[in-house]
Amino acid sequence: MKNNNKSSKTTKKQDINKDNILLSIQNASYRYSDAEENEYALRDVNYNFEKGKIYAIRGRSGTGKTTLLSLISGLERCTEGSIIFDGKDLKNINLDTYRNSQIGIVFQSYNLLPYMTASENIILSMDASGAKIKNKKQKAIELMQSVGLKESYADRKVLRLSGGEQQRVAIARSLSYNPKMIVADEPTGNLDKQTESEILDIFKKLAHEEGKCVIIVTHSQNVCDIVDEIYDLKKTK
Amino acid sequence: MFILKNAWISITRNKGRNILIGAIILVIACACTITLAINNTASDLINSYSSVYDKELTLSFNRQNMMKDFDIRGEEGREQAKEKFENIATYTIDDIKSFAEVENIKSYYYTYSLSLNGNNIDKAEIETNTPPGGFGGDRGSKGHMNSSMDFTLTGYSSVDSMSEFINGTYTMSEITDNAWEVVFNGNYVFINEELATYNELSLNDKIKLEDEDENTYEFEIIGIFKDNDTEESSMMSMFSNSANTLVTNADALVKIDEENDSIKGSINPTFIIDDYANAETIQKSFYEKGLDETYVVETNQQQAEAGVSSVKNVKSFATTFLIITLLIGGIVLFILNMINIRERKYEIGVFRTIGISKLKLTMQFVSELLLVALVALIIGAGVGATISKPVSNTLLKSEIENSSESREQMQNNFGGPGGNPGEDRGKMPDFNKASGIPSIQAYDSIDAVVDITVISELLVIGLSLVLVSSIASMISIQRFSPLTILKERS
Repeated sequence: MKNNNKSSKTTKKQDINKDNILLSIQNASYRYSDAEENEYALRDVNYNFEKGKIYAIRGRSGTGKTTLLSLISGLERCTEGSIIFDGKDLKNINLDTYRNSQIGIVFQSYNLLPYMTASENIILSMDASGAKIKNKKQKAIELMQSVGLKESYADRKVLRLSGGEQQRVAIARSLSYNPKMIVADEPTGNLDKQTESEILDIFKKLAHEEGKCVIIVTHSQNVCDIVDEIYDLKKTK
Repeated sequence: MFILKNAWISITRNKGRNILIGAIILVIACACTITLAINNTASDLINSYSSVYDKELTLSFNRQNMMKDFDIRGEEGREQAKEKFENIATYTIDDIKSFAEVENIKSYYYTYSLSLNGNNIDKAEIETNTPPGGFGGDRGSKGHMNSSMDFTLTGYSSVDSMSEFINGTYTMSEITDNAWEVVFNGNYVFINEELATYNELSLNDKIKLEDEDENTYEFEIIGIFKDNDTEESSMMSMFSNSANTLVTNADALVKIDEENDSIKGSINPTFIIDDYANAETIQKSFYEKGLDETYVVETNQQQAEAGVSSVKNVKSFATTFLIITLLIGGIVLFILNMINIRERKYEIGVFRTIGISKLKLTMQFVSELLLVALVALIIGAGVGATISKPVSNTLLKSEIENSSESREQMQNNFGGPGGNPGEDRGKMPDFNKASGIPSIQAYDSIDAVVDITVISELLVIGLSLVLVSSIASMISIQRFSPLTILKERS
């Protein structure tokens, strides 16, 4: 079905410390390759994200939340405008390197490799980043412990873990190469309230204690309640 | 390094699929090993057999080339044809020397033949009531030579040109001590022992021959040879074909020819060439150097390779089988890879999302296939090496049997071998003898060997096959968008 609502805008005024900006979205638009000329999935978006803060991007279905997330995480390139990360335009950098060293991505459906153990999934991400880590297994266990998983889970196949545990593994994986920014797409969408709260605590800790920029795409009010800034995406005619 | 590690993890977790791929590659490897071993060994046998023969090129008169430019219908046409035939351009020794300068010719020799009558010796023949135009006559005469003359003199340019002695058709039964020193330097001859007996001639006797103008030429006998050819000269003759053939040197005959216009000799050159494949180029060069286009070049390739025709057939079968195996194997592997990629779409999405580049991912998928292929190739080569020998020998045996059955069938078509004893009309024609091609095969086993060459070829083929069949994964990885894959999954 054709989407007639082609632009997205924020609803909240920002109090910006320009020196602290890690990621800046400037007039970014995105149009699918098979879309009509004026049919945009996302149009003229302008957002700034700072280090040490946690953000929520919310909006109804079809407003382009996931598209925005894929642009931020370097899975797609914006068709118009630009996204500046740490002073560099994403258009001019290798997005594979960007994804495997600068940004950690957490998905609602975890996206772990089911045939690997929890620690293998984390180590795979370390390998992909090319980071020189001496004892990767030990580091993976430490990361798991930091997100509330026991050491004994390290050698378990991820399919044997619960949803919350898998999401913790996914967060540990995203932290494996110590990225500056974490992007999460509905990270608590499949979890119960108790687990959701525990996962959100992890994100808060990452932003406020470790100085990372955390961006969460969500429908959940619980998530919106704990974030520092909320960006609302809306369809406009 | 992590590419190989991931490849290994992926192989071990998908045992069923990889065993299937491995089994297919193993079958291909086994078939390739056998066919390559047969191919290489057969090539060696063929080359070894062919190397016994010099690669010879001769000139032969081509009637069709001569007749192509005019019409022989009507009296006028027939006159033209007659005139053309009488004035066929020939070539001289100087021409042959000039032809020999053509690239791809390694060496050359020639025979020079002419006919003379006996002066103090008689032609070896027994008078019979042969009907006019019947079976008699001198079968040794060639070209423009007068067939009514008694003796054919064949002059050789060198020992290399004495093919009848080399191939054992003629063997010396008596010879003077210095025969091989003087035979190329004057009027010396070797004569058939039948002629010697008929005229009571012996070594060092001098014989006289004469031309139509009764000019006489004296030759000294320095050798007596025996003709071992069992073929009868004619149905009514008790003598061999060469009974009235005198063997001497070419220079002596050229001198006689040059001194007398009434004598017309003929030259038969043989050029040793580097490769049969160059025959056509050489013919073109000969024409450019003035050879009349009524002549064409012919090679002894068919004769040189006749003894290994069954081996060649087995080699040809092996080559065809190899191509079919590779084609089918390649297609099956390609399809399996495509299915494999579709099944692993999610995995590709995850890998791409965490920042593994398309190149590294492609390398991982190719590495997985390579590791499986390597194991399968090693096992396949081992199995192939074990069974290549019996398979090759069975194939050759079957080929020889088929060939024998065909020949027997042919004999049956002509009334069976030998027909009725004592009756020539019932005797089956010897096709192979007629064509100068031996019917006996040089080898009755191939014993295909798997050596380092076969292993190397197998590796190249195997790796190429893996790379070609990996194209599916390479293309898919380039096209897949990680976000789309993960959305589909969600």
